[in-house]
Amino acid sequence: MSTSLIIVIVIALVLILMYNSLVAKKNQVENIFASVDTVLKKRYDLIPNLVATVSKYMEHEKSLLTEVTKLRADANKPNISDEQKIALDAKISSALGSIMIAVENYPDLKANENVMHLQGTLNELEEQLSAARRAYNQAVTDYNNAIEMIPTNFMASAMAYKRKQVFEIVESERKNVNVKELFNS
Amino acid sequence: MKNASELTDFYYKTLYPTLQELEEDRKHLRHRIVVVGIIYSLVVVLIAFSLSSFIAQSPDFLFFIGFGYFALGAIIYKFLIKDYTTEFKQSVIKPLIHAIDDKLSYNSNHHVTEHIFTRSDLFSEPDRMNGNDYVRGNIDGTKIEFSDIHAEKRHKNSKGQESWSTIFKGLFIVAEFNKNFHGKTLVLPDTAQSTFGNLIGNWLQSNNFSRDELVKMDDNNFEKEFVVYSSDQIEARYILSHSLMKKLLDFKNKSEHPVYISFIGNHIHMAVYYDKDLFEPSVFRSLLEYKIAMEYVKTLHLAISIVDELKLNQKLWSKQ
Repeated sequence: MSTSLIIVIVIALVLILMYNSLVAKKNQVENIFASVDTVLKKRYDLIPNLVATVSKYMEHEKSLLTEVTKLRADANKPNISDEQKIALDAKISSALGSIMIAVENYPDLKANENVMHLQGTLNELEEQLSAARRAYNQAVTDYNNAIEMIPTNFMASAMAYKRKQVFEIVESERKNVNVKELFNS
Repeated sequence: MKNASELTDFYYKTLYPTLQELEEDRKHLRHRIVVVGIIYSLVVVLIAFSLSSFIAQSPDFLFFIGFGYFALGAIIYKFLIKDYTTEFKQSVIKPLIHAIDDKLSYNSNHHVTEHIFTRSDLFSEPDRMNGNDYVRGNIDGTKIEFSDIHAEKRHKNSKGQESWSTIFKGLFIVAEFNKNFHGKTLVLPDTAQSTFGNLIGNWLQSNNFSRDELVKMDDNNFEKEFVVYSSDQIEARYILSHSLMKKLLDFKNKSEHPVYISFIGNHIHMAVYYDKDLFEPSVFRSLLEYKIAMEYVKTLHLAISIVDELKLNQKLWSKQ
């Protein structure tokens, strides 16, 4: 076999490997984003129950409840982009956090069994969501690294692959959840 | 639950009369072992001398005498210390465990079952397993069991000779986990990255075909110490929250030994590699020595406190 043929085969192999690794990384990002979406949907489904349960108590926080309902409606609109979903998720996280803090000001509401159950479910969903976001961010980082680093960046620009946005992890989620604070304080 | 220093106090104050009695027994036993050892060695040397002409013809025979000397010596030693060991475990280890939590049960002869050890998927399946000092109970509503374990693998060479190698020796703990999960997540000591550096180590880890997918964790300190494999990227992160990663790292630093962890079948399995038999009484060192006492207390406390330290008793999630 001639040397030039060997060189051609090696170059072809390297190109195929680079192409496949880029496609695999892009698909991994999409695959994990689908899982994030599933958990986000679960959270949207929980919002009407939460609003219904707490609205009769929380007279002073009506605007908060209206906002969270509006954000949910926006998130459920068809054809919104991944970037918009990421932005809405951050706003909903912040609004739900504020509702949970407000619950602390209503002793009857705090002791209500439905609210406690909702808090437990929401807590679980937040943990699952946080896990899905972290997995997504890792997949996006691997993908972004591949499209910016030599030599895969040449192949990525030929394939018109663009950088993807990561989820920003809310600082409070890094802290350990304190059950006492949630239920008893 | 009592902390380690309270337990050391308990060891010295409450158990002091027992320890003094045992210390006397230990001194007698040590004397007996030395006497028996000298007589036994002399007998073996005499036998070797009487067979000197035979040994001169086939020097390999000397090797068999040496092997037999150590093997029989070990059996005699085990036989001599048997009663003392039993007495020590019943009068020191058992009260120590009950001092930590009186609802815990202790059996000095049993161990965590081979089924659980194999289920943990941390090590290859053993061909022989033994262990002792089995503790089982319920701490704040969380089931826990642990014991000393020695798991071995059988090998046969081309001549058909059998030999055994250790897969794992140390403390094996299994407890209920407070979150529901379906997949399999393993947290292993990171030997590849620490030996070969980040680039090659990472490549080796991601191409470990005997394990599931590599999961890169977003905690640099945790990543330096451990490598995570899981059947589910998201579930691995659901289990290994930032706070749990920190707690596992603290646990590893506290144990000062390699720690292997797996999350399978809604349980957490932890294997702490000591490479020695734990909770055994010292024959050649005093039971009243601080370092000796601390070792028993520290190991027991480490095992039992995982429920508290990893917050396994917090039923915060949907699993009630």
